[in-house]
Amino acid sequence: MKKPLPMILPLLLFLLLVIFLFQGLFNDPRALDSQVKGKPLPSFSLPDLMHPEQIYSPESLKGDVTIVNVWGVWCVTCAVELPYLTHLSEQEGVRIVGLYFDQDLDPDFGTKTLSRVQQEVTEMLSRYGNPYAFNIFDVYRDTSLDLGVTGAPEHFVIDKDGIVRMHHIGDINERVWENKVGPLYRKLKQELANSQTFQESQISQSGGE
Amino acid sequence: MNKIVVFCLMFGSLAFSSLASQDNFSFDDPAERALFLRLTNELRCPMCQNQNIADSDAMIAHDMRRKVYSLLKQGKSEQEVIDYMKARYGDFVYYNPPVTFATVWLWLLPVLFAVGAGLVIIRRRKPALPEDMAVKLEKANKMLEQDK
Repeated sequence: MKKPLPMILPLLLFLLLVIFLFQGLFNDPRALDSQVKGKPLPSFSLPDLMHPEQIYSPESLKGDVTIVNVWGVWCVTCAVELPYLTHLSEQEGVRIVGLYFDQDLDPDFGTKTLSRVQQEVTEMLSRYGNPYAFNIFDVYRDTSLDLGVTGAPEHFVIDKDGIVRMHHIGDINERVWENKVGPLYRKLKQELANSQTFQESQISQSGGE
Repeated sequence: MNKIVVFCLMFGSLAFSSLASQDNFSFDDPAERALFLRLTNELRCPMCQNQNIADSDAMIAHDMRRKVYSLLKQGKSEQEVIDYMKARYGDFVYYNPPVTFATVWLWLLPVLFAVGAGLVIIRRRKPALPEDMAVKLEKANKMLEQDK
C-alpha cells in the first residue's frame, strides 16, 4: 500500500488495451489512405467508351466539379447505385463521369470485342438509368491502377482545376451523399461559382477601363 | 487398372485446370524470375487484405502482377517497383512497413516491455539490507547467549 501507482498500473494498462481494441471495432480496414488525394489526376489518354475516336485526357475534366465513378457492368453494387447517381445527375445537376473498365477483357488476349462491351453497357444503363456525362474506357486498367483503385465502385471528387479532392471506396447512396460526398461537392461548387464571379468582375473591370 | 487410369485422368485434369488459371509470365533470366516471385510475395493485395498479390485472385491482384512483370521487363529495380506500388496504394501495399513515428512502436514496445519487466523482477528480488541482517544476527546471538 506504500506505492499506489504500481498497484493500479496493470489496471491502467488493461484499460488502454480495452480502448485500443474498442476503437478497432469501428475501424474500416478497407479505408486506405488515398495517395492521389490533393494531387492532380495522373496523366492518361483514353478513348470514349461509346465513341472511341474521342480521346480524353485529365484536361477534359477541368472547368467543373466532377465525380468520377469507377464502374463496370460486372459489378453488382454499381448497378445498385446507378438509380441514385442518375437522380443526382438529373435532379441536382451533378456532373458524373464514368471510368469504365471491363473485368473479362484481358488486355493481353483481347477476349472480348468493343462492340460487345458497348452493348452490355447500353443494356445496363437503359435498365437502371444513365447518370454519365460520358464514359472513359480504361482499356488496360492502367489509369485505375494509377488512381489506387482496388475494385468497383469507387468515386473520385475532382475540383475545377483537376485536383482529386476525395477518394470514396464503395457506393454512393443517400446516406453517403448527405454525410460525406455531398458537403464537399457543394463546397467545391461554391468555390467554382465564387471564382467565376471573380473572373467576371475582373473582365468587366478591365472592359470598363 | 481401370481405376488407376481414371484416377490419373482426374488428377491430370485438375492439374491442367489449375495451370489454366495462372497468368503466363516468361523470364529469360532466372534471377529476374526469382525477383518477380519475391515481389509478388511481398506486395499486398489492396482488395483482399490478408493475401499477397501472388496468392490473390482478385482482379486488382492480376493487374498488379501484370504491372510488376512489365516494370521488371522495363528494367526497373526491386525498390523502384515497390515505390511504384507505394505511390499508388500507400505503405499498406508492402508487407514490410517503414519505420515512422507511428510504426516504430512495433519494435520499441516489446523491448520496452521486456526492459520494464526485467526491472520489476530485479527490484522484487532485492536481498534484505545488510544492516538489518547484522541487527538480527546480534539478536539471535543474544538469545543464544541467554540460553547458555
